[in-house]
Amino acid sequence: MGSKGISMQDKTRGLGSAELWGGLFWLAVGLFVTWQGWQQGLGALHEPGSGFALFWCGVIASGLSLVIIAAAIAEGGPALSSLWAETRWQKVLLVTVLLLVFGFFFEQIGFIPCSLVLLLVLMRFIDPVPWWQAVAVSFGSVLGVWFVLAKFLRIQLPAGILAPWLG
Amino acid sequence: MDVIASLYHGFTVALQPYNLLACFAGVFVGTLIGVLPGIGPVTAMALLLPVTLSAPPEAGIIMMAGIYYGSMYGGSTTSILVNIPGEAASVVTCLDGHEMAKQGRAGPALGIAALGSFVAGTISIIALMLVAKPLAQWALKFGPAEYFSLMVLGLTLLSFLTHGSMAKALLMASIGIVLGLVGTDAITAEERLTFGRLELLDGIGIVPVVMGLFGVAEILSNLERKLQREIVQSRIGSLWPTRDDWKRSVGPMTRGTLLGFLVGTLPGGGAVISSFASYALEKRLSKTPERFGKGAIEGVAGPEAANNAAAGGAFIPLLTLGIPPNVILALLLGAFIIHGLQPGPLLMVQKPDVFWGIVASMYIGNVMLLILNMPLIGMWVQVLKVPYPLLFPLILMFCIVGVFSSNAAVFDVFVMVMFGMIGYLMRKFGYEPAPLVLAFVLGPLLENNLRKALILSRGDFWTFVERPISGVCLGLAVLMLIVPLLPSLARKREVIAIDQE
Repeated sequence: MGSKGISMQDKTRGLGSAELWGGLFWLAVGLFVTWQGWQQGLGALHEPGSGFALFWCGVIASGLSLVIIAAAIAEGGPALSSLWAETRWQKVLLVTVLLLVFGFFFEQIGFIPCSLVLLLVLMRFIDPVPWWQAVAVSFGSVLGVWFVLAKFLRIQLPAGILAPWLG
Repeated sequence: MDVIASLYHGFTVALQPYNLLACFAGVFVGTLIGVLPGIGPVTAMALLLPVTLSAPPEAGIIMMAGIYYGSMYGGSTTSILVNIPGEAASVVTCLDGHEMAKQGRAGPALGIAALGSFVAGTISIIALMLVAKPLAQWALKFGPAEYFSLMVLGLTLLSFLTHGSMAKALLMASIGIVLGLVGTDAITAEERLTFGRLELLDGIGIVPVVMGLFGVAEILSNLERKLQREIVQSRIGSLWPTRDDWKRSVGPMTRGTLLGFLVGTLPGGGAVISSFASYALEKRLSKTPERFGKGAIEGVAGPEAANNAAAGGAFIPLLTLGIPPNVILALLLGAFIIHGLQPGPLLMVQKPDVFWGIVASMYIGNVMLLILNMPLIGMWVQVLKVPYPLLFPLILMFCIVGVFSSNAAVFDVFVMVMFGMIGYLMRKFGYEPAPLVLAFVLGPLLENNLRKALILSRGDFWTFVERPISGVCLGLAVLMLIVPLLPSLARKREVIAIDQE
């Protein structure tokens, strides 16, 4: 269904290997968790502290990351650049940025205006559909969701700038 | 007699109008998301979790359960008509189902998928009903050491069966436990990994994590390339299989049901593995294995029965032990907890309304699904024609609404986007999200039982080995860790390992 990730074709060793960078990232995370667990306090075996499980999870994660790094050094892996070759990664980036921007304005501007803009932009600029379809689906779905959730199910959604009219 | 009386009581609960409506909503949404590629049962359940908060617990859980087993029905429709599985358990149905459709036999393929699902689903509920009580009574003997070891076994088995490197899967499981421990420590009340954020004091919500890792990440991955969908254009025709189709399908359906149910009950097992195992079994048993992949109805009947029976079987460890065997049931565990319920051996004693209400609703849900998937198949074909560029913005909006409404906090929307990006990168780098999510849900339970077991044994680690059930579970987990180190067995693992969602 989704991208199936790493294929083992075109193996690369050294700093260009995606496997190596993946392993290094998780090693850093594992070491950080280990340190946090230590800081939190391990307690004693008969009364483990709040850092006990964190510490050991961090140690296990670091150990497994080292296994991945060792495998990447010994056997190589796909090149980092090959993961995004012939893909539309710009669209992935654009959608992520749009979602973040949406999050920043969601409460102030409100669900209806924010969602309308998000849907219209996604439908017109990612994989464009005709204007009439984009407008009809955006308005229909946003107003429908608002009515069902806010009015029917009484689920709280921010009214934002439309608060005086929506109540 | 006791079981029949309890089931009767369950029907009185499940047939209440509100619960009936919840059941219908669950199986309808389940079928819908099964039909729609790009959204799986995990995302749909996370999406609707906030909606169930205002409902009584039994109605909420009945709806969530309906989404799970409903998605197993719906997934076959896209596999047969479009050659794209609606969800992972229907991947194998593409092989022969779509071939049948290309030969003008889409009707019997859809028919046998729906009927096989119905038969298997119903049998698995009967088995669930009969097995649950003795198993729950046995589980009352479990202490913290047993629960800890059982959870370790579940996580190891899931990592073992996950596609790709086992080191990566185990790494994801340990990261999942860490994420599950974020927030206030239940015993010492100390803050852990909160970085001073008040929003993290109660931990990271399961809804934004799941929605990010499965919903948003799936969309981002799909956007990378253009999705091509070719719907079979010929008329679907009669859905009722011929006498010959029935003759060929009865055996595979029976075997698929048994196999699916057994695999479904295993920690780490599930609908995906059972459907693949059933296909392999039928091909091996067939006198004409060369027909498989070219439109053999046995290749549809067996796996479809297996994945539905597995969906029923998977409820056993959750309802009797309180341990979810896969990521979808982990989310259902989250729903139980949110509704103030604790699934486990005491559930059917303390909350018989919930336990037997769920079981009875599954019978009703299966009948609803048969109606939804046989006479109303034309409606689902129309749904299939909705283009992805129109669909994905709507799924994203539903994800945002679902995440925000679960806690009324925009912080959760950012958490979802962050996990969406992480999930997208994980797929790119070959890390599976399923072990992470299961471990995320089990993390607090795992830690709690570990600490309790150590306190009770006065710090003696041997308690995990000396207690027989715990020792066996840990022994099996260790075995699973050793297997990938042996080259011949590692190859066999690669054959059975598949994506979990």
